[in-house]
Amino acid sequence: MAQGRGRAEAGLPAPQGLTAIDATLVAQALLNGVLFGGVFSLMAVGLTLIFGVMRVVNFAHGDMMVWGMYLAWLMATRAGVDPYLGFVLCAAALFVLGFLVQRLLVQRIVDAPHEMQILLMLGVALVLENTALLLFGPEPQRVRSVLARSTLWLGPVFVDVARLIAFGVAALLTLALSLFLFRTDLGRSIRAAADNTYGALVIGTDVQRVYAAAFGVGAACVGAAGALVSPLLPFSPPTGLQLSVASFNIVIIGGMGSLLGAFVGGLLVAVAESLGAVFLKPSLKELVSFSLLVLILLFRPAGLFGRRAS
Amino acid sequence: MTPHALSRRTFLKATVAGAAVIGVPQTLRAQPKTFKIGAVHPVTGPLAEPGQACRLGAQLGVEAINAAGGVKGKGGMQLELLLGDTQSKPENGRVEAERLVNQGAQMLLGSFDSGSTAAMVSVAQQKRVPFLVDIAAADPITANVAKAVKEGQQKVQYVYRNFPTGSSFGRKAVQYFTEIFAEAKVTPKRVALMHCNDLFGVNQARGFLAAYKAAKPAWTLLEDDVIPWPEPPADLSTEVAKLKTLKPDVIAPITRPASAQILLPELRKQRVESLAILGPGSPGLYEAGQIAALKDDLEYVLDSVPWPNFKNPRTQKLAEDYQKRSNGRLFDTNSGYSYDAISIIADVLERAAKLDDPDAIVDAIHKTTFTGGLMQYGGPIHFSEVGDNPNAISTMIQILKAKPVAVWPKDAAVQKLVFPRPKA
Amino acid sequence: MAVAALLVLVALPLAPTLVGSYVVTLLTLIFFYGYLGQAWNIVGGYAGQLSAGHAAFLGIGAYACAVLAVEKGLTPWIGMFVGGALAAVLGTLIGFLGFRFGLRGFYFVLLTVAFAEICRIVASNVDAIGGAVGYYITFTGDPRQFQFQDARAYYYIALVLMLGATGLVAWLERRRFGVYLSAIREDEGACEALGVDTFRYKMLAMMLSSFLTGIGGAFYAFYVFSLQPASVFGIPLSVEIIIRAVVGGAGTVAGPIVGSFILSPLAELARHYFAQSGWHGAHLIVYGALLIAVVLFLPEGAYPRLARLLRR
Repeated sequence: MAQGRGRAEAGLPAPQGLTAIDATLVAQALLNGVLFGGVFSLMAVGLTLIFGVMRVVNFAHGDMMVWGMYLAWLMATRAGVDPYLGFVLCAAALFVLGFLVQRLLVQRIVDAPHEMQILLMLGVALVLENTALLLFGPEPQRVRSVLARSTLWLGPVFVDVARLIAFGVAALLTLALSLFLFRTDLGRSIRAAADNTYGALVIGTDVQRVYAAAFGVGAACVGAAGALVSPLLPFSPPTGLQLSVASFNIVIIGGMGSLLGAFVGGLLVAVAESLGAVFLKPSLKELVSFSLLVLILLFRPAGLFGRRAS
Repeated sequence: MTPHALSRRTFLKATVAGAAVIGVPQTLRAQPKTFKIGAVHPVTGPLAEPGQACRLGAQLGVEAINAAGGVKGKGGMQLELLLGDTQSKPENGRVEAERLVNQGAQMLLGSFDSGSTAAMVSVAQQKRVPFLVDIAAADPITANVAKAVKEGQQKVQYVYRNFPTGSSFGRKAVQYFTEIFAEAKVTPKRVALMHCNDLFGVNQARGFLAAYKAAKPAWTLLEDDVIPWPEPPADLSTEVAKLKTLKPDVIAPITRPASAQILLPELRKQRVESLAILGPGSPGLYEAGQIAALKDDLEYVLDSVPWPNFKNPRTQKLAEDYQKRSNGRLFDTNSGYSYDAISIIADVLERAAKLDDPDAIVDAIHKTTFTGGLMQYGGPIHFSEVGDNPNAISTMIQILKAKPVAVWPKDAAVQKLVFPRPKA
Repeated sequence: MAVAALLVLVALPLAPTLVGSYVVTLLTLIFFYGYLGQAWNIVGGYAGQLSAGHAAFLGIGAYACAVLAVEKGLTPWIGMFVGGALAAVLGTLIGFLGFRFGLRGFYFVLLTVAFAEICRIVASNVDAIGGAVGYYITFTGDPRQFQFQDARAYYYIALVLMLGATGLVAWLERRRFGVYLSAIREDEGACEALGVDTFRYKMLAMMLSSFLTGIGGAFYAFYVFSLQPASVFGIPLSVEIIIRAVVGGAGTVAGPIVGSFILSPLAELARHYFAQSGWHGAHLIVYGALLIAVVLFLPEGAYPRLARLLRR
């Protein structure tokens, strides 16, 4: 058997796929994708806000989300607070984290070349991930929620209640965020600073405060997303990296700086992966989102809803 | 810093201090009477939990041997464990093996994940240090060395393993499946295999499929519809939906703890009915943490894993000690095999003609027939021409009333097998 | 400075006779990562195109060389160049896609990450090269197969690689090629306005960088004897490469080397010191903190600052 080839002679058979792709299966996959996509969207919305306003690429995004998950877990296990209620606290805590990261670190290199920013946030990511590892250990955790056990059946397809709620909350939060940005003063300042920093400075906007607030809000979104996802997904510190990569995929595809783009992008990527799992070997499903990413980068780098070319 | 300018004592002190970190060869150090074993495991990093279990198992083993008088045939020589950490990175397997050999390790033990184990193999062969693999399932680890020796490129094989290989896991699993189905008088025609697409999962799946093809049993495995998923997965709802379209009568999952936590509730949520969830052999389906997280979803789940022989009173006692020392962890596969590896090494040292000649130790390894193991074996421990122990086998365990118990084969069973599982 | 460099150059080849095999192994890895950092430096430091997916080139070089050696019996001494060439092909593709389509900064980074991840996923699913189980190389100790019974041989090979790459970079730095790269890094728009074919120079940098990294992959394969897609194509490996160049000084000749000499022992110390007290992953926190500190306070890297200090 081992002829120095390093593998067993019997390789795994290439799956022929199921002979008749079940319509129900496809419908289910679509539904799953849309529901799961809602949370992806919330995660991406936070990232796009940060980039759209400050042109800062938050490489620590996924790790912040994982911290949101761990906070939710702590609340659930120590204080018995259900994550569907506790997400508010997670959002608040992450807001503070985001605000501080911006004020103390990112602010200093606002004029530095992009590469420096990327490396800075990479450093933050490493610190966040490994501090979580230190504090919580490497085993996967999951938060128990009463709601996470139920399903709704609509004929032959089923709806996972936990995902439905996550989707609903994500959609509401995205809506709330757009209202914030378009209807409140702070929100308008953020958008103004995003469009034209000098102009904002000229009219007296405290740009530093605005930036910090934007980062904070972005982080809060991802904290909420983390809490909402915590009953659905076993997480451990390395999950952060996966989530960061996924967030970037979504934001690029949807369009950096566009809320609608992030939302639609999240749904799109989740549905694409879900369908990928149906038609291909499921272990290849991540290839679908990466391929989409490469295509978008090449042919429409601004993304589906992006405002300007790169 | 020249040796002549320092007194011998200062030099020794400096050497000893520096050696701990730098590892200068300690040829000038007076030899105390211990036999050093380098135990390399992934005690930090993603595999920290099993890695720490292995280390603790090995430590308990050394303590037990030393308390009973050490290697009696060699003047009561005590065993000493030198500890190494790979962080699951292959190159660290090499670095740690080098470091420990530098500090005087005369044998190596390790290292759980096949990547770092393979890196240690090269050091063992280069430096002629006998290396007993306590846990690592990839077949090539020993097979490649055996082949090199056979073809004359290496003189002696220094690498041996006391753990089931991927292919033997597969054969045993197929055997157990066949026997269990026969016992219940059913012949499932749609056994569905699903697995995590990482090193372990793929290795197991391949072994299982190969064994199935070779055995040609009465039951049918859906070979063309194997479902692999990326590990760790975010979501398995589509994979389970796919499974459902196959209308399986038995579900055979190969999981990791993370994926098991998603898979089992998903199976329940999508109401996938089956005679049983019967694992060909994987983690994630029996550990204390998993049982706590999954509760009822794990009840009646079967898994074919290497398991301690709890019918042996020594095992029971050790399990209690282990639980105390590890703050509540359960004695299981990982700690057990590392413990047994130490026991085997002690036995080998008793019989070796000379302890400072690696070839004499290898010779003693070849002649091993050891019955003092605490894990479930199919017979005395010995090593084949490839270097593996054909009697290292798995046992079918089942989660009954939230506890993993051995249920098959009958002579190993602590409780009666429940198959098919009762309707919910 | 030159005297110090000369001293070091003389001392290093003698080291294996003076220190134990553990230090030799550590130095081997320092040289190896220094080499990889230097290869990255060409495109990431000098040309300023941040690539976070260099592991892809290492992985391709490693797998190509290993598979050719095991399946076709091609000696890795030749196979490493084949591996390097294949890695350069991927580098050319990524470079072409990125530079032709005008991807800069963050977008380019993401393109490189995407390709590395694609390689990882594909390698995990192709059974012919072992899939997720990985590819294993038999240890034979035969020098014709790039294996050695005495581990000190690796030390010398890694040293040669590192010095070779450094020499190459030092030479390139003075020539027009290096000057143009630096200019492109500083202000690409201005270069184009002046008529410099920035596309061509960036592509050359990318090809060279990926070729060298691919050769490094071959060394890696025959040093650890097994390849797993997750470790060989993974983002953590790309981070290890980048961090050495950045902390040491991206865009300088000695930067990656200094970075490697700082970071590898640090990681090793952290691993031992913290692991004893059960602190998992502490060395990565140190990496992260260092990266933050360097970006905030020492953006040119350790080497330029050291060089200035020593000149006084």
